[in-house]
Amino acid sequence: MNRKKVFILLLSVTLFLFGCAQTRILERISLVTLVGYDQDQEDNVKATAVIRQINPNYESSIETQSETEHTSKGARTKLDMRTAKQLMIGQLRVVLFGEELAKSGLDEAIHTLMMNSEISTSTYLAVVEGETKPMIEYKYETITDIGQYLYNLLKHNIEQQQSISSTLHEVVRDKYSPYREFAMPLLKKEGEHIQINGVAFFNNGKMVGRLPADDIYYVVLLSDSFKHGTLELEIPSDNIVSKSKQSGNLQIAVDSIETDRRFDLVSVKPAQFDISINMKCRLLEIDSNVPIGNHQVIKKVEKAMSKKMEEEINRIFKYSQQVNSDIFGFGEVYKSHLSESELKNVKWNELYPDIKAKIQVNVDIIRNGTFE
Amino acid sequence: MSKTSQISNNEKFNVSLVFFIITTCQVGVGIHGFQRLITQQAKQDAWISVILSFLFAHIAVFFMVKTLQLYQTKDLYEIHEDLYGKYVGTLFNFLYIFYYAFAFFVVLRNYIEVIVTWVFPGLSQGFIGITILLTVIYAFTGGFRVLVGIAFFSFFSIIWIPFLLWFPLEFAHYNHLSPVLATDLASIVKGAYTMTFTIVGFEILYFIYPFIKERKKAEKFAHLGLLATLLLYLFIMLVSIVYFSEKQLERTIWATLTLFSVVRLPFIERVEIITICIWLVILLPNLCFFMWAAYRGASRIIKIKPRAFLSIFFVIMYVGILLVQSRYQINHMNNFFSQWAFIIVFIYPFLLYIFAKTKKSIKNRVKNH
Repeated sequence: MNRKKVFILLLSVTLFLFGCAQTRILERISLVTLVGYDQDQEDNVKATAVIRQINPNYESSIETQSETEHTSKGARTKLDMRTAKQLMIGQLRVVLFGEELAKSGLDEAIHTLMMNSEISTSTYLAVVEGETKPMIEYKYETITDIGQYLYNLLKHNIEQQQSISSTLHEVVRDKYSPYREFAMPLLKKEGEHIQINGVAFFNNGKMVGRLPADDIYYVVLLSDSFKHGTLELEIPSDNIVSKSKQSGNLQIAVDSIETDRRFDLVSVKPAQFDISINMKCRLLEIDSNVPIGNHQVIKKVEKAMSKKMEEEINRIFKYSQQVNSDIFGFGEVYKSHLSESELKNVKWNELYPDIKAKIQVNVDIIRNGTFE
Repeated sequence: MSKTSQISNNEKFNVSLVFFIITTCQVGVGIHGFQRLITQQAKQDAWISVILSFLFAHIAVFFMVKTLQLYQTKDLYEIHEDLYGKYVGTLFNFLYIFYYAFAFFVVLRNYIEVIVTWVFPGLSQGFIGITILLTVIYAFTGGFRVLVGIAFFSFFSIIWIPFLLWFPLEFAHYNHLSPVLATDLASIVKGAYTMTFTIVGFEILYFIYPFIKERKKAEKFAHLGLLATLLLYLFIMLVSIVYFSEKQLERTIWATLTLFSVVRLPFIERVEIITICIWLVILLPNLCFFMWAAYRGASRIIKIKPRAFLSIFFVIMYVGILLVQSRYQINHMNNFFSQWAFIIVFIYPFLLYIFAKTKKSIKNRVKNH
């Protein structure tokens, strides 16, 4: 009996001591919420970090620090020497890369992020036009915590599918897949604001091209099964409004309700795909002269929209071929139809610029507003 | 043989608990990262390898139960002595004791590695080892029925895993799964072979069998236990394939934990940290039963008191933890263990059954004459 008591005592002592093993008390550490990497002279990488410190009065202060070093860990150690509290990277939400660094390759940076178990794989990655340092260090009038701000900016836009999603996991997944490339949102500082300014295309870990913000809709549409998102289109008005006073183009805005995207491999050699997109949408905005109560007119609008979208998607598809960056996953579809032995000699990024695709878009306007 | 130790009725447990013991003894540290090894062999057909490996497991359990039914109240150690005689039997028993001690160590060391990599990089491995060892020894001193109880409760700390895996499905690319059956059969079988490390544990049936109340039903529950583990592993494997790209999965060391790391609940941001800590409860039946099986064997060979056994065991394990330090050593150890486990768990039961059956029939014939 007595022996048992001693034993229990010993056990509870070790269990409680475990609590002292490695403490990370919130007030005594500083949290890195945002890191930006820039290319510096030679092979060095310049890291700029947003550090959030929480003091007992529940007010958090934000400071930015920047340091240059060969490895990102080295930069972190140097930063540590300049902050009063130990740096912790577990709350990292966003990692930014300067355009120049992105163009020279992100392999090492991404690999480092992935190796570190502290960093969550749902961290967002993005490319910044120009350098990240001036963007992070600028004192904005309206933004108090730029780390949190950028996280929210990316998060809500990605959730609403107004930007391409680029969590660390997705980037790594596509980076290591020989049949797919990754893309990241492109950010830009515009005066007092930061905005998503497009999509950066990557090939083999290097940024090779970009498309402007207006094209994001189509990029997302093609790379993912689209759920919600608003699209603005300009369609020729000739057939739709017969007695139209103004000739030319008709502005239209729709809201996607349900979209189904399919890639079908129709021929292996040469690789040829059928892209079919079926979109059910809701009409949000159209010229008041268009009689949308008329079924025939709606049919015409749908047809014109489909045609316009096909053109746009074709343009974006051609662009991705031109920069040889298969961010849409054609390669995966291709691979999923071939056996192991057939794939042996296939180098997808040599094939991709030459693949053919037939695009077919089917728009279905199933709802309009409360007023005709 | 009159040496069969009598098991009193209040030491026995209900047959349905076999289900929990089998499942919880199987789910251990292998589940953290088995996807990687199998994908390296079987590519997108890795999930077929998982099913195949369980097919073999079911066959192995079938032979195990058949062997045990020949002897009814005896466990494997006693069967060995009966079959091979005292000296050779002891040698075989010694191999099994060593196997279980090794299995215990493998589980312990791998878990410590996970803790040190994910949660506490700076913590001494010996300290974590002592804490876990003390916990296990404490459970062990409670007696066999306590161990069965631990297995039962541990099962409920496993069943939340599938629910957590719905979150990563948000990023699923289902075309990673096709083409189905494109890898050649040899690779799929090789993949099934690498499952050994993850699937073993059910051979504990050899030792708990005499403790079961209604032995006739034991086989059914053992197979059900395997089936439950199969469903869990299969689901994890499928989610991993659709979530990771192939090359990425081949580079991800603990894919299951990486799957968890994308889950972000409003009140827990990093679920995998909590998961790793809860894993101790999942591992506890593994450790307890392996230790218990080793003790059963040791106490048959030499008259050893539990306390003396535990002290020696503790010291050996602690020294082991201090010796095996690097990731390279751990990988090496795991490979060695799985090769050995394959023979012990999948091949030996079959041979043992044939041997036992022939011996029985020869004996009967001699009697009849």
